[in-house]
Amino acid sequence: MLLEARNLRIAYGDATAVWDASLEVGEGEIVSVIGPNGAGKTTLISAIAGLLRWNSGTLHLNGNDLARVAAHRVCAHGIALVPEGRRLFTRMSVEENLEIGCYLPAARAARDATLERVYGLFPILRQRREQMAGLLSGGQQQMVAIGRALMARPRLMLFDEPSLGLAPAIVDDMFDIVRRVREEGVAVLLVEQNVLKAMEIADRAYVLEQGRIVSSGVPSDLLRQSHIREAYLGV
Amino acid sequence: MTGRRAISGIGAVGGVGLLALLPLAGLPAFYDSFLYLIFYWISLATSWAILSGFAGYFSFGHAAFFGAGMYTTATLSVKFGVPFLVTLPVAAAVAAALAVGIGAVVFRLRRLRGELFALLTLAVSFVVATIILNTGIDGGAGVLTSSVAVPHLMPSPSGTIYLLGLLMCAGTLAITYAIAHSRLGIGLFAIHDDEDVAEVKGIPTFHYKLTAFALSAAIAGAVGGVHAIYVGFLTVSETFGISVPLYVVLMSVLGGARHWLGPAVGAAIIAASLYAFTSGDQAMIGRGIVAFILVVAILILPEGIVPSWQRWWARLRTREATTPTASEAPGIAAIPRNEKASGKVASLHPQTRAILEIRDVHKSFGGLQALRGVTLDVREGEILGLVGPNGSGKTTLINVITGHFPLTSGSLLLDGTAIGDLSAHSIAGRGIARTYQIPRPFAHLTVLDNVALAAAFGAAGLGRAASLAEARRWLDFTGLRAKENVLPADLNLHERKFLELARALSASPRLLLLDEVLSGLNPAEIDRAIGLIREIRAQGTTIVFVEHLMRAVVELSDRIAVLNEGVLFALGEPGAVMRDPRVVSIYLGKAHAA
Amino acid sequence: MPSMTLLGQSLVSGVLLGSLYGLVALGLSLSWGLLRLVNLAHFALAFLGAYLVYHLGTVWHLSPWWAALLIAPLFFAFGVLQHAVFLYFRVTELTSLLATFGISVIIESALQWIWTADFRRFETHYASTSLKLGPIYVPVVELAACIAAAALAWATWAWLRWTYVGKALRAAAEDPEIAVAFGINRRGLSFLLSGVCAAYAGVAGAFIALISTLAPSQIWTWLGVVFAVVIIGRLGNPLGALAAGVLIGAAESVAMATFSPAWAPVVSFSVLIALLLWQPDWL
Repeated sequence: MLLEARNLRIAYGDATAVWDASLEVGEGEIVSVIGPNGAGKTTLISAIAGLLRWNSGTLHLNGNDLARVAAHRVCAHGIALVPEGRRLFTRMSVEENLEIGCYLPAARAARDATLERVYGLFPILRQRREQMAGLLSGGQQQMVAIGRALMARPRLMLFDEPSLGLAPAIVDDMFDIVRRVREEGVAVLLVEQNVLKAMEIADRAYVLEQGRIVSSGVPSDLLRQSHIREAYLGV
Repeated sequence: MTGRRAISGIGAVGGVGLLALLPLAGLPAFYDSFLYLIFYWISLATSWAILSGFAGYFSFGHAAFFGAGMYTTATLSVKFGVPFLVTLPVAAAVAAALAVGIGAVVFRLRRLRGELFALLTLAVSFVVATIILNTGIDGGAGVLTSSVAVPHLMPSPSGTIYLLGLLMCAGTLAITYAIAHSRLGIGLFAIHDDEDVAEVKGIPTFHYKLTAFALSAAIAGAVGGVHAIYVGFLTVSETFGISVPLYVVLMSVLGGARHWLGPAVGAAIIAASLYAFTSGDQAMIGRGIVAFILVVAILILPEGIVPSWQRWWARLRTREATTPTASEAPGIAAIPRNEKASGKVASLHPQTRAILEIRDVHKSFGGLQALRGVTLDVREGEILGLVGPNGSGKTTLINVITGHFPLTSGSLLLDGTAIGDLSAHSIAGRGIARTYQIPRPFAHLTVLDNVALAAAFGAAGLGRAASLAEARRWLDFTGLRAKENVLPADLNLHERKFLELARALSASPRLLLLDEVLSGLNPAEIDRAIGLIREIRAQGTTIVFVEHLMRAVVELSDRIAVLNEGVLFALGEPGAVMRDPRVVSIYLGKAHAA
Repeated sequence: MPSMTLLGQSLVSGVLLGSLYGLVALGLSLSWGLLRLVNLAHFALAFLGAYLVYHLGTVWHLSPWWAALLIAPLFFAFGVLQHAVFLYFRVTELTSLLATFGISVIIESALQWIWTADFRRFETHYASTSLKLGPIYVPVVELAACIAAAALAWATWAWLRWTYVGKALRAAAEDPEIAVAFGINRRGLSFLLSGVCAAYAGVAGAFIALISTLAPSQIWTWLGVVFAVVIIGRLGNPLGALAAGVLIGAAESVAMATFSPAWAPVVSFSVLIALLLWQPDWL
């Protein structure tokens, strides 16, 4: 197992967002975590990315315990994040954004090769490499965010609600890209509100509701259960 | 309590009286001067704190008002022969006018807070200084006031100045004490903690800030007027130098800028130390030491001496008091399910009138259209659930209704009256209250004061005693009564959410808007919250609530409104709406719709 | 209406003085823009540097260039230390304003104690040399300051623009959380930046010593102008700071020639006030 999370509990002060979450991601897998708004998906993935501390539970990447790792060292362990809402550096150019992705020495050494791969994946970014990232469209910004994460040459990529704020047609493209990322040998953990898309692409999935994993398994099995419906629609 | 206050009051007046007689004791003039300077700094620092300490708008330009007052008195008495005492109210008025002029422009601009306000006031101070320097008022030569006739209130002129200084000081402290215990004061304290929330709770923030600024300036101006005679010779560089802005900030921060007595304590300490060094070199070392104290004070005692001492004292006393009952989770017992039925039938009656009419409301932020024409009626007495995917505009709608944002177009009618272009505090006054998803209590006010404030400034507009009683009623309702004197930071999340609720309810709203009140709570707390919401509606309040916890929405709501991409997508009974294939598809994707 | 020569001379003097404003503003602009801390002590530090250069020059006959080279690393260390203290006490933007205000006064008092309040002039043999371009005089030292300001501004801009550290600083200023998520050691970099800004103050001080007459009270006269320059030039933008400095210097100078010297401060403060009211989104 590449990533192993056991009984994570994550709270902001005394507001517990995630009560008890356990999940695994294997090499080269695409794993989805779905759940309605407010279920704790972003909290969970932010903690795995090192943006938040968790209160109890364990998290291992490649057997390494991430509990004592400082926030700026998490990336070096092989995790890269595509944040919710893209969160690009809007005042920097597209290429500069990508370069921040390979800031760490190991990735920086391979900068040119990785940059070529990213431009190969997203030709339009090559055209707009000098443009300020803030001026791009939503879909293009998402490409930059994904490219930035790829530049870090991660073993595991985390996607936080990749479809948020994007037009349906672009959402399809986005999920194609997620597949291609896996083809590059990178494992994917994605949290998503959009059930259909998340289930289509996943090898395995978890359902998160009110801060707890209520169900897990193969997408086709999960879709037959009532959990998802109840969680999202309350009926 | 009133007995104690009466005794303090008499003591204070007696003390002032004794001090007033001091010059008659025949002590050397040095003491008149020394004490005058202490009174002078107490007055200046305390006046500064009225806006900057209480409301948190740190001004670095206090010298502008002080200097305006000084030069007004100097000009009027020297050039126009106006009697000295008459010039004092004029000096105050000139300074106040200057403050109103600045404030009228600056306080309307939301982004000019914090360090930008400080910079702006500093800049204004320099501009005023330069204008005075370059025009006939001073012209660079300075103004000589030593020949101005001082009224014969005391045997010597220095005695009279001393007396005036004393009266200014006593007056300033009295005014500031009165403000701190008035509606204005509480409003300023709330503005300090969270100005946006204060506005939404009914506090007329613009007017209060302007009033505080004007009062602060007026006092500084009057103090300046007296000081003009004390110094005997005015120069622009001395008057508008960095001393006044620096010291008033330091004295207030040291003593506690939020407390009416804080600046006085700080001023007394600093002024006494400063003037103990009299020679030139020593004065300068004194300044260095003073600045060092400022740095240490800001870093270590950000609250100031007086509040820190108060807190230490309070902690000592609560340790002696009986320990409160073990912390049980607050809240009321869960209400049995079948109560739902009776409540619902009434509001589903089609003839129930609309309390809030939302008509084709659009709201854009720059290029982003958050609301694209929402039309919705909220029926009186109902519980309306507002749901929708991320970005559908739910919170924006709430913010628009409460007046936090103005409408781009469309109209909002409350009981038939248009509220779309009213200020947030006016809307609060008409009976709309809201809670925030992440609780935003006023951090420096106790639980009781937080709730009482809403009662005082909300639709009911109650007086002090009545608002406290009303507050206690709602604290009982939400189970927080035992913690009424606690600060919000010492509550847990559940309690803070209930505090939000109590605060919103004590404003006696006709319409209550709840923003994700259940997020972060555990199942037991959620059940309690749901029971509470039902109770609230049973008392006649209409409720609109935004929530992601779908099970709760379906259980609680009479009707559900689904927003999607800024428009109303579906509206109706919970079961029907959430099974509607179109609604299912926006949540789960088209494949599920069948 | 003054003559063309007078106007021309004012313009040139103004541009030269303005570049010195820009040099002083550089460190302040960087720390405010990239660290989100308002460092009023920057001015006091600059004057401390000026006095040190003066002292090293007059008492130990050390050339100002060597003196500047000596004090830069010392000031760097001071900047790092100050930042460590601020981080320890979790200082915010407003608290930093107050605390650095206090530090400024402490430094001013120290300056006055050591060197007294008398005006001091650093006499060097090139202090009085001027180039003559047509009817216009260009003092050599001021020209050197102008060149230094331009060089430093450009070098800083290049550093921020082209190097990884520079990009990391810009990224961390905009979205610290995400910058950290990609391995940027924001804390460490903030120390580096504080040190650099303090060193810049020292260098600016060296030129102040060469050009101006020194007195501890002068610390405050520069405050308003330089703040205006920082804000007009956009926070965190080195070339902007230089350009704004030159602009304000020229405007002041021309105003002085056209109206009267005493009105000069009004120019920068009025521009500052106007900007704050007009509310550009780069603040």
